[in-house]
Amino acid sequence: MFPSLLAAEHTAIVDAAKAIAFALGVGLGSLGAGIGLGQIFGSMIQSVARQPELRGELQGIMWLAFALTEALVFYGLLGGLLAFVLV
Amino acid sequence: MRRLLVLAGTLLLAFPAGAMAKGEFNPAHEWELKEWVPIHLGPLDLSINKAVAYILLSALVAMLIGLGLMRVKRGSGPTRKQALGEQVYEIAQMQIAEQGLPAKAIGRWFPYVATLFVFIWTVNMLGFVPLPLSDERFELFGIELPTLAIFAATSTLSVTLTLAVMTVVFTHVEGVRFNGPLRYFKSLIPEAPKPALVLIVPIEILSQLVRIVSLSVRLYANMLAGHMLILVMIGLVFVLESVALAVVSVPVAILFYLFEVVIVVSIQAFIFATLSAIYIGSAIEPKH
Repeated sequence: MFPSLLAAEHTAIVDAAKAIAFALGVGLGSLGAGIGLGQIFGSMIQSVARQPELRGELQGIMWLAFALTEALVFYGLLGGLLAFVLV
Repeated sequence: MRRLLVLAGTLLLAFPAGAMAKGEFNPAHEWELKEWVPIHLGPLDLSINKAVAYILLSALVAMLIGLGLMRVKRGSGPTRKQALGEQVYEIAQMQIAEQGLPAKAIGRWFPYVATLFVFIWTVNMLGFVPLPLSDERFELFGIELPTLAIFAATSTLSVTLTLAVMTVVFTHVEGVRFNGPLRYFKSLIPEAPKPALVLIVPIEILSQLVRIVSLSVRLYANMLAGHMLILVMIGLVFVLESVALAVVSVPVAILFYLFEVVIVVSIQAFIFATLSAIYIGSAIEPKH
């Protein structure tokens, strides 16, 4: 997908380190986003339980927040992917 | 009927290209874009490849969706088609355009954000429909046919980057047009004590540039990760060469597929259009 720009030595240990770094990066990234998503949906449930008539208006805001938060995982994923392929 | 379609779709997904079975499986190969019709204008590479074919097809389908849903016979009672069309229009008007654009700019910029919404939705959606647009071939009764494959044009960075750059350029052009260049660029600098501005102004400029990255990478990485997950899940069967694994990995792949089709496809189109509206709206009516 991407050309290998920086040709590092492809020893087994380098490959293993890259795989670990990739997984750690994405995993830690999704940890934060998971907490954020939980808070978003949690507050949505609370607000709808308190004022069910506002559900329609809140839903738009919720999805916006959902996508903004969820995207953070993918920044991590992309960074990891770039590092994985380029180095 | 619908159940049959779903069944056929899952079956197609469960039995991917036969060419995958032999040789090594690398999910990244799906994103190698080979030139189908080479067109080179000097340094510009305008060749038609898989992504371009998908974009052209999606543009056609998006136009047909617009024409088909919005043209309704008058006089007769509202049909299901009309109801669907009105629902799409209502989402574009109430949820997207009015969320970000000020009243004086809706007439001018509603078409743009609504087009973005429908177009990106179509591109994303076509990305999950198995189409005979791939580089791999298989033989059926002596005729070579392309294999059915799923690929989204929005899972290539150049497509989403173009859309994001368009939005950001429109943002600044509209800001200058509605406020005049001097007032617009002044509005970008927040009110703060003079020494703090040295720090704040570079950050503000950076945040404008980051908009391009965040807008494009959000869509790109979402679609890329979705396709990659499905591919890797099915590819596990071929990588580890065990058919027994299919019992686990194919249902997981189908789950991811349904998650992408039901939620991610629409949400990402909605988000892109809404953020475009918010950016353009905030440039037209700066807060201070």
